Amino acid sequence: MHAENISGKILSLLEDNPGITIREISNKLSVPLSQVESILKSMSDVRQKILIVDDEMDALLALKVALEAEGYNIVEAKDGYEAIDKVHSEKPDVILLDLMIPGIDGFEVCSQLKSDQLYSHIPVIMLTARGEIDDKVEGIELGADDYVTKPFNLKELKARIKMVLRRNQDI
Amino acid sequence: MWNRKSRWNIILFAVVVLLLISSIFFLWMKTNIDVRSVVEEQYQNQQLLLTRQISNSIERSLNEKVLLLEVIAKKDTGVPPDYYKSDLKSVYDVAGMFYVVEYVAANGTIVSGYPDEYVPYGLNLYESNQHRAFEMVKASKDVYITEPLKLMEGNYGSFIWIPVFEGDKFRGAFIAIIHEADLKSRYVVESNSSSYAYLLDERGRLLYDESGNYKRGTNYAELLGSDSPGLVDIISKQVNGSEGNGKYFVLDNGSVVEERLVSYSPINWYNQKWSLAITNPSSEVDRLIVSVYLKLFIVAVVSVIFIVFVSSFVVVIIFNWSKSLEKEVDEKTQELKESNKSLLEVNKKLKELDRLKTEFLSIVSHELKTPLTAMKTSSEFLQENDGCDVSLRHQMLDIIIRNIDRQSRMVDDLLDISRIESNRMRFHREPVDIEETIKVSLEVLDSIIKEKHMTILVEVQDDLSLINTDKDKLVQVFVNLLNNAVKFSKKKGIITITVETEDDIVKISISDNGIGMSSEELERIFDKFYQIDSTSTRKVGGSGLGLSIVKGIIEGQGGTIIARSELGKGSTFVFTLIKQDIEEYK
Repeated sequence: MHAENISGKILSLLEDNPGITIREISNKLSVPLSQVESILKSMSDVRQKILIVDDEMDALLALKVALEAEGYNIVEAKDGYEAIDKVHSEKPDVILLDLMIPGIDGFEVCSQLKSDQLYSHIPVIMLTARGEIDDKVEGIELGADDYVTKPFNLKELKARIKMVLRRNQDI
Repeated sequence: MWNRKSRWNIILFAVVVLLLISSIFFLWMKTNIDVRSVVEEQYQNQQLLLTRQISNSIERSLNEKVLLLEVIAKKDTGVPPDYYKSDLKSVYDVAGMFYVVEYVAANGTIVSGYPDEYVPYGLNLYESNQHRAFEMVKASKDVYITEPLKLMEGNYGSFIWIPVFEGDKFRGAFIAIIHEADLKSRYVVESNSSSYAYLLDERGRLLYDESGNYKRGTNYAELLGSDSPGLVDIISKQVNGSEGNGKYFVLDNGSVVEERLVSYSPINWYNQKWSLAITNPSSEVDRLIVSVYLKLFIVAVVSVIFIVFVSSFVVVIIFNWSKSLEKEVDEKTQELKESNKSLLEVNKKLKELDRLKTEFLSIVSHELKTPLTAMKTSSEFLQENDGCDVSLRHQMLDIIIRNIDRQSRMVDDLLDISRIESNRMRFHREPVDIEETIKVSLEVLDSIIKEKHMTILVEVQDDLSLINTDKDKLVQVFVNLLNNAVKFSKKKGIITITVETEDDIVKISISDNGIGMSSEELERIFDKFYQIDSTSTRKVGGSGLGLSIVKGIIEGQGGTIIARSELGKGSTFVFTLIKQDIEEYK
């Protein structure tokens, strides 16, 4: 079952029966207990959510640790399809999108998201080891909000994340 | 073959040739006319000479004969007793031309003559009323010659009257008759078929016509038609007593039948003024120069043939020349086209190489930057968060170390590729036990094999001896191929390694029952960084240099490597190694 629907259904169950237990929800929706728990946890998480899309596990892991230490809620995706799914289910506040990812590539993911009204407001920061001007231009044209070249400076990336988040809040 | 321009050239050339030929014919005609007029002139002059000679000889002969009688007539000794008989006889004998000579006494009676049988003795001219001429010479005291008259004998003859005077006293006259027949023999020219002579008197009447076509005494001009161009002029000149050449056209019903040439010369015989003419058809001239015509014609024809031959020769030469020129131009054009084509191809290849180089650099920089990103992020995190959790710190350090290893592997791979591409890869050959090598390789990959629960089947031919190759490189080959096989297999897959010998080569195949490849992918798997396709989509991690290096190592040692695969059913890599000079190591 789709994660989005599950969270919606959990919410309606909670509204109907404020005293309902996690187990009861799990049984009612016939969803594993752990998933309900994680959904509830994420729903109660007030931290800003960042989706990191990268197929390089080490780079992803390092960035995740670093950003979690900054107090962000980190969601991971290893390829283009997963990234789209995660956007749908997690509704991140910002997306760090690597260009070279398996499945559908970063440009495609970006253009899909930006053409969808539901998600086009989510800022996208593109990450890539390529530094060519063309990539930057293409990225920006597709609606990427920022562009960071690998290997990036952690401080700079954090500053940029903050900036796009603030800019988004202002709107 | 002939384009527009050369067709015009040919036409121009043909015009020139035709002009040459027609000028030759023109010259030929002109020469003919000139030659003809010269020959005609010469011919006429010759005819004139002949005519003059004949007329002169006739004139002289006639005059001489008459002179003989005159001499007697001028004798002052008076009439001899034999009435000049002996004189007449001797004159007759000397002249040899007279028909008869007679002496007429002053009273008009014929008293003597020679030969006797023709002399009408006793005939009195007054009585027979034939005294007109007798009276005339008596009065004029001069010789008188009649026109040829018909004689009693039936033929024609001229009567020559010579007055005989003794002092001033008229003593009678001599009569001599000259037969025309006797003269004829002198007129008769050595005639060929077409020329004939005629004789006119001073009134233009025909005295003699050798052709015998015309009646004597007729007016010659009327006879031949006074409208014949030129004839009237000729006759008037003849009547005038001049000599010369002329020509006229014989007309028949207004059309020209033939042109005749006439040469005429006067005969002055006392009072008789005659004109002898020899006439020839002008075709006679043609007959004379027909051989010249023929020779000129042959010259003209030969010239034309020569011109035609030379010009066609020139045409053939030019044709061949232009043909060979065209051929050469075609060849050169073809060569240029080919070289242009090859240059374009080379250019294309160079561009492709340049593109590949750029792509390679871009990929290399990406591949080098990726571990750097992880390292940098981790180390910056560690720097910023000094007091962080120990496990987190270890995690970050692990990331750093892992990526350093990856980076150095990448650099090694790149160096290998660089060596392979510049043929600088060195192989340290030694006797290698394949089975042991496989074992070592599997140990290297132990962790990932276990992770995926792979089954590895190794089938090595029993009698396989050591082979001569670079052990480390062979391990690298096995590791790369097996690593790929594991990576592209599902969990619990089976990988089969078989080693067998064929003559002096060892054939090693590694097959898996993994995801396989499409034929397009299969074509490019040995290309550098192939795994990163144009959509920048990476399916399975790795440097993308592994298979290129494997291929380089195998081929660098004289072996071959091929890959077979079917989508969804797995892939097989087969490579060969040469067991060269293994005996040396034993």
